[in-house]
Amino acid sequence: MHAYLPCGVYHQQYHEDHAWWQTKFVWGKMILLGVLLFVVFPWFGGYYLGIMNNIGYTIMGALGVQLLIGFCGQITLGHAAFIAVGAYTSALMLLHIPESQAFWAVFLTQSGLLYPVSIVAAGITGGLWSVLFGLPSAKVKGFYLIMTTMAAQFITVDFVITQYVAQIGGRGQAFSLPPGTIRIGPWEIDNDVKVYFLMITLVILMTMGVVNLMRSKTGRAWIAIRDNDIAAEAMGINIIQYKLKAFFVAGFIAGVAGAFWISNLSAVSPEHFTWFWSLWLVGVILIGGFGSIHGTIFGSLFMVLVMELLQVIVGILTPWFPSLSMNFLFLKESVFGLSICVFLIFEPNGLSYRWWQIKNYFNLWPFSY
Amino acid sequence: MELFIEVVVTGIMLGGVYALVALGWTLIYKCSGVLNLAMGELTLIGAYTCLQFYTWGIPFVLSIIFTLIIGLILGILTERIFLDRLIGEPVLTVIMVTVGLSFFFKGMVETFWGTDTRVFSPPVFSLEPYRLFGWLVIGRVYLWSFLAALILLVLFVAFFQFTKWGLSMQATADDEMAALSLGISARFVYAAAWSIAFMAAGVGGTLLGNINGINISVSHLGLLVLPAVVLGGLNSVPGAIVGGLIIGVLQNLSGAYLDQYFPGGVKEIAPFVFMVIILLFKPYGLWGWERIERV
Repeated sequence: MHAYLPCGVYHQQYHEDHAWWQTKFVWGKMILLGVLLFVVFPWFGGYYLGIMNNIGYTIMGALGVQLLIGFCGQITLGHAAFIAVGAYTSALMLLHIPESQAFWAVFLTQSGLLYPVSIVAAGITGGLWSVLFGLPSAKVKGFYLIMTTMAAQFITVDFVITQYVAQIGGRGQAFSLPPGTIRIGPWEIDNDVKVYFLMITLVILMTMGVVNLMRSKTGRAWIAIRDNDIAAEAMGINIIQYKLKAFFVAGFIAGVAGAFWISNLSAVSPEHFTWFWSLWLVGVILIGGFGSIHGTIFGSLFMVLVMELLQVIVGILTPWFPSLSMNFLFLKESVFGLSICVFLIFEPNGLSYRWWQIKNYFNLWPFSY
Repeated sequence: MELFIEVVVTGIMLGGVYALVALGWTLIYKCSGVLNLAMGELTLIGAYTCLQFYTWGIPFVLSIIFTLIIGLILGILTERIFLDRLIGEPVLTVIMVTVGLSFFFKGMVETFWGTDTRVFSPPVFSLEPYRLFGWLVIGRVYLWSFLAALILLVLFVAFFQFTKWGLSMQATADDEMAALSLGISARFVYAAAWSIAFMAAGVGGTLLGNINGINISVSHLGLLVLPAVVLGGLNSVPGAIVGGLIIGVLQNLSGAYLDQYFPGGVKEIAPFVFMVIILLFKPYGLWGWERIERV
């Protein structure tokens, strides 16, 4: 859903029409955003950077969900499973490859390429795992697919990872990564600022990748499948192939998100990838808006910030109601549930639709007819 | 062999409870087309309400009846406040509203009753098991739960088949337009479906709570219902009952026989594995309607 061009702007060449940023004003905004993200925000303290890393993680997780649900119409309620697969792949590589004496292992460890390589590997395993559970989408859709992805969540996280993968190496369920294992080249990712830079790079790469994919043949095929899969098939789109591609890309993004998250926590445990987190990601895109990259980002911002605000309010009220801070988790769940209901009932198009309206109002001003 | 029969019988008893909750789920789907993911939280609310009445000293049977009444009221309220506005919205929207509701209910239950496991004290059923034919050992609580579930199942099916209200629900499920034109109030039917679901889930939760004690994990029942209804076919009442029984048996069997090969929690996962297999080979279940789609 593109906004209208501002009054008086018109294109004469195709490449102008295809440009990412089409006017000088938008270029200015983007440069400003870049300065804000890379220069101003890192100056903020650890607490704010922590929140931002959380937002970035949510954006990356929700981007895959948005791709599957919002663009391809394949509803998934088990995305946390693919994030978990990525996180465990990366963590296991980081823990086990340095122990090996093989030439390539030593080279990877010494040069500090291990973590970047493990991020890619995490993406690929996450994608393949996602394709495995996307296979039923060849035959079923709608509610039945929801059931399959839900099963993926329970089979992957509660069974395979908790009972088997987490037992590798006999460390107990939660792996903690010793300091110094997460390195990119010469830099050791050991504080919030470095995690923040890693996050912002990955988020920008992922977002631009998805936006570009949506401008390509693949993206148009996904949208056709979402709008009417039978018609899409009649138009000559191989829908099974494209559905599985969507599952792979979504799983890839999820895997990268998982691999990023271990750098923030320096630990990984099955408890971080519960069904609640899967539903949370779907809630994020519902609140942000379907089928919109902006929506993913707005939704993530909204959910994370509202929850932080809730925590602050609870902190203020605690002297008067001591039981509140104990019940914070439950309150969080209730607020999350209620906000999904309220958004779906009163604002079914999400935040991105409002953003679109506001932007158009200013773009078309003063001749809005 | 004795172990096998014992496992199967216990599975059937447990499956009775699943069947009861699955019936509630199917009713909602049949009548209003809502795919309800909040079923587990409905069982949770029922279980805790009944427990509250019981700890206040009200006899067990009476507490169950009170739970049914509260379920009726909550069902009507939920339908009126949330679901009524969503008629005709896309599937995902409705599903996510029920997911939102489930979080809301869960958070509320946790705020009121906390997360510690509670038990009915004094125990409703004595721990002394029944011995049939001298060798078949069945826990008292399983047998009575099964009987209670059976009684309610018969009651609900009879309501559905023989009363005017039940018939109007069937008519709406069959063809909403035709039912509306014959003067049946769709809003009444939706509210009735939600009330029955709340009541069935509440009793199911109470019975399960008697077996394992009540905590948040009772809401897992709401997820176990999904394999049952998928197996039976989403919009078939007998399918839900048979599916519930079969899932109960399969779950118990895999707990008894597969646990040695895949240690740790096979029992909880098995129903979902079955569900994926069913979906791969027979997505419309045993008696579900196969929809033919056209552009």
